[in-house]
Parts: sequence; C-alpha cells; structure tokens
Amino acid sequence: MKGFTTKAIHAGSRGRDVHGALRVPVYDCVAFEQESGRAIQLAFEGKKPTHTYSRITNPTIEDLEQKMLQLSGGRAALAVASGMAAISNTILTLAGAGDNIVTSPHIFGNTLSLFEKTLQPWGLEVRLVSMSDPVQVADAIDSRTSAVFLESITNPQLEVADCKALSRITREKKVPLVLDNTVMTPYLFNSREFGVDIEILSSTKYISGGATSVGGIIIDTGNFDWGCSAKLHSWTKTSGQFAFLAAMRREIYRNIGACMSPHNAYLQSLGLETMALRIDKSCENALELARFLATKPQVTGVDYPGLKKSACHLIARQQFNNKFGGLLTFDLESKERCFAFMDTMRIIRRATNVNDNKTLILHPSSTIFSEFPEKRKTELGVRPTMLRLSVGIEDVEDLVDDLEKGLRTL
Amino acid sequence: MQIRINGEDEQVAKSGVSIAELLILKKVESPDMVSVQLNGEIIDRSQYHELRVHEGDELDFLYFMGGGAFS
Repeated sequence: MKGFTTKAIHAGSRGRDVHGALRVPVYDCVAFEQESGRAIQLAFEGKKPTHTYSRITNPTIEDLEQKMLQLSGGRAALAVASGMAAISNTILTLAGAGDNIVTSPHIFGNTLSLFEKTLQPWGLEVRLVSMSDPVQVADAIDSRTSAVFLESITNPQLEVADCKALSRITREKKVPLVLDNTVMTPYLFNSREFGVDIEILSSTKYISGGATSVGGIIIDTGNFDWGCSAKLHSWTKTSGQFAFLAAMRREIYRNIGACMSPHNAYLQSLGLETMALRIDKSCENALELARFLATKPQVTGVDYPGLKKSACHLIARQQFNNKFGGLLTFDLESKERCFAFMDTMRIIRRATNVNDNKTLILHPSSTIFSEFPEKRKTELGVRPTMLRLSVGIEDVEDLVDDLEKGLRTL
Repeated sequence: MQIRINGEDEQVAKSGVSIAELLILKKVESPDMVSVQLNGEIIDRSQYHELRVHEGDELDFLYFMGGGAFS
C-alpha cells in the first residue's frame, strides 16, 4: 500500500476480528480477563501481547494507533485523551525539574499556558525564541534542554518554520525536535522525512472527521536515538528503540491517566478514512477565501501561507506539498468591528475549534488568549483586530456569500 | 536445545537459531512490535538476524501493546 487514503482505509490492527467484522468494534470495557494468574503476571510485565486495562491499552484504541503509525511511517504511536494531553504527556516524558524546553511565543495559547503556567512552577524552564531564526534556537539549547517544540503552522500567527534547518541543529545537539502537526497532519507534512523526532496531533481536528470527538496522538518518528536522552537513557536498557513509548506506556501515560475513550478511537478511525478528501477541500476553500478577503476594502490585512505575499509562502510550499492548510486570519478596523462582523454570520459558525467540516470564526484575542494581558498578547502576535477562520468543506460560494454579506454591513 | 523465554522453559528443535528465526518459530504475534532481551541485555534490532541463541540462554520478549513498529 502506497496511497495515503488506501492506507487510512485498510491499515490497522493485527489479525482478523473474531466475527470477521471489517471495522474494529468499540471495545467499551475496562478490563480484559487472562487465562491464569501466571498469564496476568506476564501481561503486567509486558511479556504477553494482551490487553489488561483500558487506561493502558484497548483493542479499539490500538487499531487507531496502528493506523496512525502506518500513515506516519513512524516507530511508535500512542493515542491519548486530547491534543493537550499529547503535549503534556510528551513533555513530562522528556523533561524534569531543572530542565528546559526551547519553544516559540507564537504557539497555541493553551500550549503556552501549559508550559508557562502549569509546568514552569514544577521546575521546567521555558525558553522563548523565534523558530524562524535557527541561530536563536541553537543559542538557546544547552545541556539541560529536553526538547525543542514548535507547530507546523502556528495558531493563530500562521508562521511556518524551516523544519529541516531546525532538525539539523537539534540532531547535532542531540535534543529531540517535537512538532505539533495538528493543522497539517501526516497527509500534508511527513514529520519523519523533515527530521522531526516526536510528532503530536490533536486528533479532535482533521482526524476526527467533523469534530465528533476529542483525542490526541503522539508519534515517535524513529529519528531519535533515545540513548542520548538523559531522562530516557535508562529506558533504552530495558526497552531498546521503544524507550520513549515504554516510558510513556509504563509510567507517564499510565500514571497520568489521560487515556482516549474507545468510542472516540472508533470515531477517529472512521474519520481517518476520509481525512485526505476533506483536507483537500478545506485547503482549496481556504485559498479561495483568503484571495476573496484580500480584495475587500473593509479588510485591513489577510494572512494565509497560501498567499504569495505571505512571508512563509515559500517554505510552506516546499514543506507542505503546495497545500497550505485550512486556517487563515484577517483583520478588521477594531475589536468592535470584529464582533459586529461575527454576529452577521449565517453559515459560518462562531466557535472555538479548527479543522471541523464546518467553517468556524473566532476572535482569538478575547477567547484563546484572554488569560494573557494586552501587552503580552501583542508579543504573542495576537491582535485585537484579528479574526481566525477555520475553513471547512462547504461549497465555497456559500462561504463567500456569507462573508460578503457580513462585510457589507460594516 | 532448551532455553527460557519469559521465565518458561522452552524446547527449540533447531540449535543455534537467530533471534529473528526464534520469533518466527515461537509464532510471536507482530514480531516488529517486540523488543528482545537476551540474558538480561536488550538486543538491537539490527542484530536479530546475526545473533544466535544457545542452550541455556534466557530471553524475554517484551511488548508495548498498540503502536510499536519496526523502523
């Protein structure tokens, strides 16, 4: 199998279902019985390939993990409760008190909040640099750096960093490069080929197939030698190349308990099958809407990596196979105008999510970034005049019509 | 030859088999998702075809259910 959608449809768990079901059923249960006391001991020691307890593994979730693994070409995959759970499990696996991570101020607001407000008080130092400046990144790394973290397209600043350039630095410094690839997915960006070591996805977004369920995926791309990680070195002695997966499955993920629900895994496996078709349409619509908005006098600025005037257009074109994702931002004169415009929407929905089938509009400054003071928002690249559109898969003429009518009221 | 796998005595008809052959002989489900310890040492996957198993060796086949693969 070579094609992405062929794999998405046919890849998955080992073996044939007991009834020959073509879709792995929802194993909506907690515990799995073993045939003997010895068998349950072996299962707990990891010496028997079986499920014991759904907080740790579950057949429906395993099916999704296997699909993601085959689609990404990675070494190991783990499904968790949400995209944020994917980030927190990853950082807790890689770093400890006294360590630091190098990241950008231009990332998703909740991710920045996790790093600065939740993890920093536990002793994690957060070093903020521009991911577009590899020299800054290199200078920020030291012997206690546990990860360099970035997003494939930052949300909502829509910046695109040169992943190959960054991976050359992180490989030389023996630090894992962690990428949140939610808005591009393995369909548009092959993290492994670009030198990423850990790929993170909020499967709530494109993967779920229409905002049906919350989930997250963590993928070890197979690029990193975990023997070089101070925190994971000991795991290589017992788990070899699976050190990262073993440390999560047998400690961090198991103990944190942010597991995916089997029902969500089922919905997301289903969503994966049509993901490429939906992404193609979403990207096509986003480009058309960005071009439309750029012609409107009421709009003071439009940002979309697919527009040639975007500062990130060239690198985005190289990295993302000439597709630019479903997110765009545009500016109106004031926050009040943004709110007035949002209130006119009839098809486009006012909601905080991205990569739904529905087109969604949001004012990031007053929502996702509301916990940050105004001055900090400016540093984070979040303007009070900015609106974010997450472009869905509707017929584009209806979306243009909705925007056009709204702009006429301003 | 007699060896121990995951704490159990096991007979293998052929002696001097490689780890890769042993995974097949023992019908290990999804061998690409298994890490192997030989006499307490984790074995690098690149050595599975070269490294031979001998009488009295102790092996552990370790699983990380759901989402491990050969790369």
